[in-house]
Amino acid sequence: MSAAGDSPPRAGGERSGLVVVNHLLILATLLAAWEIGSRAGVLDPLFFPRPSSILAGFWRLYVTQGNIWPHLGLTVGEVISGFLAGSLMGIGLALVVGMSDRVRRYLKPYVIVIEATPRIAIGPVIIAAFGFGWSSKVLIVMLVCFFAPFVNTLNGMLNVDEDDISMMRSMRASKLQTFRLVMLPNAMPDILGGLRLAMASALGGALVAEFIASNAGMGVLISQYTGVLNMASAFVCVLTLTVLGFAIFRLMEALDRFIVFWTDAERMETVSRRRARRWAERSGGRP
Amino acid sequence: MRIDTAVTFAEKVGKHLFVFAAVILLWEGAGRAGLIDTILLPQPLEIAQGLWKLYVVDRTIYWHFAVTFYEAFGGFLIGGGIGLALAVGSALNANIRRYVSPYAIVLNVTPGLALTPIVIAWFGFGYASKIALGAIVCFFPVFVNTLIALTRVDEETIEMFRSLGASRWQTFLKLQVPEALPLVFAGFKIAITTALVGAVVAEFSQGTAGIGVLMQRYAFALQMDNAIAALLSMSLLGLLLFYLIEILDDRIVFWRRDARMAAVSRRRQARWTARATPQTLRPTTQKHQEETACATRRAS
Repeated sequence: MSAAGDSPPRAGGERSGLVVVNHLLILATLLAAWEIGSRAGVLDPLFFPRPSSILAGFWRLYVTQGNIWPHLGLTVGEVISGFLAGSLMGIGLALVVGMSDRVRRYLKPYVIVIEATPRIAIGPVIIAAFGFGWSSKVLIVMLVCFFAPFVNTLNGMLNVDEDDISMMRSMRASKLQTFRLVMLPNAMPDILGGLRLAMASALGGALVAEFIASNAGMGVLISQYTGVLNMASAFVCVLTLTVLGFAIFRLMEALDRFIVFWTDAERMETVSRRRARRWAERSGGRP
Repeated sequence: MRIDTAVTFAEKVGKHLFVFAAVILLWEGAGRAGLIDTILLPQPLEIAQGLWKLYVVDRTIYWHFAVTFYEAFGGFLIGGGIGLALAVGSALNANIRRYVSPYAIVLNVTPGLALTPIVIAWFGFGYASKIALGAIVCFFPVFVNTLIALTRVDEETIEMFRSLGASRWQTFLKLQVPEALPLVFAGFKIAITTALVGAVVAEFSQGTAGIGVLMQRYAFALQMDNAIAALLSMSLLGLLLFYLIEILDDRIVFWRRDARMAAVSRRRQARWTARATPQTLRPTTQKHQEETACATRRAS
């Protein structure tokens, strides 16, 4: 896969205080221009809500009315359950399937076709089949989350160095040992890349499913607010999703650093030092 | 040798077809035996009939196909163009990078599809809103891939360019751009499928034409055979868009593939020789003749 999930490289050097101040100044200028433009009538406040009214909307939706909470909870629940089920299924199936060379070869054309299809496109079909409730949303998120881990895991298994495998064989490793010690660690960065892609699309999948047909969830809330041209509240919902998306992004990044520690030289050193210490302690206990 | 490979190729295709046929037969049989609810998942034969109806009898799908293609491609051009421009600017200038990338990241972590209702309110029910949503969702893959590709150029090569007195512009054109192009195209490939998703989702929300509209209409009428036929058309559209970029990739980044590389260098060489003949070669021949004449005179 490509680098689309990564953040762009930081501008060189450390970020000094001056840079942060500049950032804040630019942001403040933009917001002020927006506010003034809206008040002066250049921007139609009906379509482009003022920053101040968005701020007021935050207060209203979260505190005074508090009506965002059940919707937010529902959407997060859909995303988490769909993501877990879909990606675990994808990884599991790929691990089983990837053990066999032949199955992998025969699956390839289908994988290409599925990759080209917009996964969310199956939404209306699923909703027609499983109804307007929560189950169809979870199913759609599951489907959206299934393919990226599946394809990536398969790719990771495919890219194992043949020499490593023959070395394991020459050392009389069993098939399970080869799998656990060579194939799985080798595929791990790809698997996590797939998980990251899945997680990024899970939220979108849940929202689209809710747009198509539903009675609760953030997608419904956004379309209702937009439908009555209450743009400030719709923006509050979108910004909430931004924060949610950012949290998910950081979570996946942390997971990445934790599990595939060997791709990052610094983390690799820390982990190996810790392991060496633990190993020394254990062998020190036993004379 | 060649016959050999042809035979193995035919064998491979044959095996694939065999597996495909087996799956289809199994599906059809299970549907007929009542193991699958045929209202929800129609049998292959019904889907084939649906395809026949959509493409041959009814023929309205071509219009919807063209509409979605236009929306997705337009969204890709706009979003990808902006992403490319901002990435090139960011790669050339650290200040632009510093002040653009936070907003790009914010845009990336926001699920772009969440903006669907808002974009439709802004741009109306027509094609513009679909193109806009496509552009929003496909901006980031192009931006991040281009930026990473342009900035990760080998430091030592840059050093060498500098020591040979290359200007900044020359370094950019002759080193950074060729180095970056493969990854940039990888970004394009992701982006164009994403643009299709954006267009289709906007069509689900509100729309009068397009494959998304068609599919939703069929699905909600529980005509699953037609709905799945429309879904397959969407895969076809996705593949078409993908291969469009793939072909461009093949043309432009020719040095990645040996066969293309050989063809292009042969063509360039031929062109170079053709250009060289009238200008450079003729004086040489003339000079050569003079020299021979001189030599003959001297000899005599």
